[in-house]
Amino acid sequence: MLLTPRGGISGYAYTHARVRAMYSTLLSPHQWAKLYDAADFDILTAMLKETGYAPYIMVRAAGRKPTPRWVIYQTKRRMADAYMTVFRSVPARNYSLLVQLYRRFEIDNLKAVLRGIETGASWDSVLYVLFPLGEATALPARTMLEGGSVPAAIEHLRRTPYYNTLSHALRRYTAEQSLFPLEVALDLSYWRTLWHEVNQLSRQDQAHALPIVGALLDMNNLMWAIRYREYHHLSEEEIINYTLPSGYRVRDEDIRAIAAGADIAQIVTKIYPELANVDALLREPESGLPALELQLQMQLAEQCRRAFIGYPFHIGIPLAYLVLTELESQDLTVIVEAKSAQMPAERFRSQLLMGNIAHP
Amino acid sequence: MFYPQAMTEVEMVVPAKDLLTITDALAGQGVFHQADGRYLGSKAEAGSWQETAMTYSTLERQILVAMQALGVVPDPPPQTEHASLIDIEMVRLLLNQIEEDVQTANEKLVGRKKRLEQLRSYLRQLEPIADLDLDIRALTKPEHIFSRLGVIPIANLERLQTSLARIPFVLLTLRQDTQKPVVWLAGAKQDADILDRAARSAYLDPLKIPPIHHGTPADVIASIHIAIERQQQRLVEQEAVISSLRELHAQQLQLLLWRVRVSRMLAGAISRFDKLRYTYLIVGWVPSDKLARFTQLIRKTSKETLIDTTPIKRETAKQDVPIALQGSGMLGAFQGLVTNYAQPRYEEIDPTLLMALTFPILFGAMFGDVGHGLVLALLGWLLASRKVQALHNLASLGSVISICGISATVFGFLYGSIFGNEHILPALWFNPMENIMQILIAAVGAGVVLLSLGLLLNMFNAWLARDWGRLVFDKNGLAGLVLYWSLLGLAVGLFTDMLTVPPVVLIIPTAIASLSVMLSEMLKHLIEGHRPLVEDGIGTYAIQAFFELFETLIGFLSNSLSYVRVGAFAVAHGGLSAVIFILAEMASPSRGIGYWTVLALGNLFIVGFEGLVVGIQTMRLEYYEFFCKFFTGGGKPYQPLTLHPSAKGPNEA
Repeated sequence: MLLTPRGGISGYAYTHARVRAMYSTLLSPHQWAKLYDAADFDILTAMLKETGYAPYIMVRAAGRKPTPRWVIYQTKRRMADAYMTVFRSVPARNYSLLVQLYRRFEIDNLKAVLRGIETGASWDSVLYVLFPLGEATALPARTMLEGGSVPAAIEHLRRTPYYNTLSHALRRYTAEQSLFPLEVALDLSYWRTLWHEVNQLSRQDQAHALPIVGALLDMNNLMWAIRYREYHHLSEEEIINYTLPSGYRVRDEDIRAIAAGADIAQIVTKIYPELANVDALLREPESGLPALELQLQMQLAEQCRRAFIGYPFHIGIPLAYLVLTELESQDLTVIVEAKSAQMPAERFRSQLLMGNIAHP
Repeated sequence: MFYPQAMTEVEMVVPAKDLLTITDALAGQGVFHQADGRYLGSKAEAGSWQETAMTYSTLERQILVAMQALGVVPDPPPQTEHASLIDIEMVRLLLNQIEEDVQTANEKLVGRKKRLEQLRSYLRQLEPIADLDLDIRALTKPEHIFSRLGVIPIANLERLQTSLARIPFVLLTLRQDTQKPVVWLAGAKQDADILDRAARSAYLDPLKIPPIHHGTPADVIASIHIAIERQQQRLVEQEAVISSLRELHAQQLQLLLWRVRVSRMLAGAISRFDKLRYTYLIVGWVPSDKLARFTQLIRKTSKETLIDTTPIKRETAKQDVPIALQGSGMLGAFQGLVTNYAQPRYEEIDPTLLMALTFPILFGAMFGDVGHGLVLALLGWLLASRKVQALHNLASLGSVISICGISATVFGFLYGSIFGNEHILPALWFNPMENIMQILIAAVGAGVVLLSLGLLLNMFNAWLARDWGRLVFDKNGLAGLVLYWSLLGLAVGLFTDMLTVPPVVLIIPTAIASLSVMLSEMLKHLIEGHRPLVEDGIGTYAIQAFFELFETLIGFLSNSLSYVRVGAFAVAHGGLSAVIFILAEMASPSRGIGYWTVLALGNLFIVGFEGLVVGIQTMRLEYYEFFCKFFTGGGKPYQPLTLHPSAKGPNEA
């Protein structure tokens, strides 16, 4: 693997050139507008063939019509390839932060497999839910699923970073017969490691990585705390133990206040004074929380775009690009599903992120 | 040598009764690149073969799992030209018998290991309280307080304390550990609910000793030690059982694995055949030089099979013709550098030979030094010979490095340089450090030759593809070549007195070629009969045309000047070597051990660092100045059906 050895101008010159070129292939406002206005799924697929997704959409064998599930899978393949390309271009010493960022998809796959085992799902039905990690994963997903039991599946993970976390949490799974403790343990371990990786960076790289990774972590931590209280009705001590004390804008006292029963809208407004209508959103948590999350994601997207302005030789550039590809893929999934279900545009527009930023 | 291997499209109509033998013969020969032929026939038939392939795939995984459980490593597949589909039910039967033995034995082994692990974990948690003179139940099941002894992930420890901030509690770390310390959490009985929820959500795993171990912590520890000894003995016995099962089944599993793997591959291939009423249609490609033997063998296998072959002409080739490159030996080493840029298309020139000629020359010219060149050649030989285990991954680069080293040695003689010393050998050509202008002009001259060659090759490719517009009007076609050479002539006339013709003779072709480049798109449309001639309005087109010409001129200038680096690096090599000598003199003016140490390290640095930089620069010149003029790429690699799935195809060799 071609890895440049260090950071700074010399280390990031190639990274910057490479990522800039890839950044230019993200969907433009004009392309988003066209996709959004596509009359149906077939036209949407044809339009995607005129974008950076063309090599992934055009590979369908002759005579085989693309299905929505397949198109979504292919858009994710492009994201996975983007990660691989970026990995090859970043300075070696900062490689592990991006690898850890990528592990999120592996953890999602792991959760999907565990859920598949619990529900007795077939491999075919699980396969398309998995993020296409290709050979960049140590997860023997199919073997785990076909093993048929969660403890046996965890045994297959012995040589992975997840084994210790899962084998410790397994006792709770056995006692409670719920995947919840396993999933929470995986998430907590993931975000702690990611935060640790950011703190290992040089001062300059850290200054550029913190706003992006911090925004990601804050969003997750805050949304967890709110959901644990509003949906799961967990106790104060449980919410605290299932969340993280670290963050960029979200502080430990904010999480503790939410856990202790304080007014959530007031706390969210204190942390993000720029967000509009927080009170109104949180009055209806069912619809309000996804809307709040979308607003936080929009902030994250803006943060990522800002990374491309100014001094360019730092980790923030590849990091921002990768987060933007993920948000783009997320929006494409919404559009593909909506168009294939022939949903009217006004019903899904509010769920779009990049599309809405691109043409408000 | 100048093109990918000639391919012949093969269509076969195979009677259903000969389907399996023909498929076996196709895979056995290892030359047939299959195309997806499913556009006429029955989808249901293809689906059933797909299902068969999936069944084999499941069996293959089951075999691998059994092999893993027995510690059997898969052998390379046997070298044979024949195989047939193995009976699925027979495999299931055999596998069920083996799995039954293996699974029971393995479950016992895993169970015993876990039990041992568990006992050791009890010990770890009890040892810190070994001196306590009270019954263990006073800690694990107290009556008047809340008490929990156990292990906790270290990352959760601080959070646990935070979560209990509103009630009184005691949290003692009894045994430090980098991952899971042993802790004791205690508090008032009335806070038991809160303490329990906090401990559970912090993943504090409580110590739960089986009732068989009782008494004080010291008693329990002694009892656990005895249990551990007993468990170890059982573990050894179980490992012996696994070992005997390995002896019994290893060979059978190896054979089954290969047969099932080949069957999976064959079934997958059949699922891509097109089923007609009583026959199958098989479509694909075979290298033309192997066609005779291929058809002979197919006819021998099934006399009723109809074979229709169509040699693929370069000029009419469709994009899906697979590409088998012809490089072998030394040439094969450079093939990797070409495919790293792009896989050539069927109808265009394979630039491997050009790469093999120009790459070492450019490298040698930049790195000309007899000593350094020989070191590189030796290093390349070492890599290619695979004598050093740790460098196996770089073996494919060995030949390239070796040839570049030899070229650097030749240029070293031309420059009169050995290990940076330019006073020992006489220069057969000239010394770059003393003739800087001469080397720079020679470098640009070489660049002009290479760029012109690139333009000519593009014209040749366009002629092959019958793309007349590209041939005549393209910036990399005839118009570009005329423009480039006219401008060169004008530049020569401007700066020297070597131009023997009046400038107007060059100005006229310059003007015509410029106009052609500017209007190339419109002229191409005109030739191809494409209408409208101009898209997006005449104003936009005029601006685009102007910038097209501007970009072409800038491109020619920058591409030519890029080759200055060849001379610059030759000079830099001399300069860098001189610095090493100065540093060595500074380290030891009397030329003692320090002098020779600095010299040796300095030369190593030059070979490693400068060698790498020059390699990258050479690659850059090849890819971005030379290849982009004529090489489009985008071909599909040739991957024939084979009975040895691990064996590499010709393109990967």
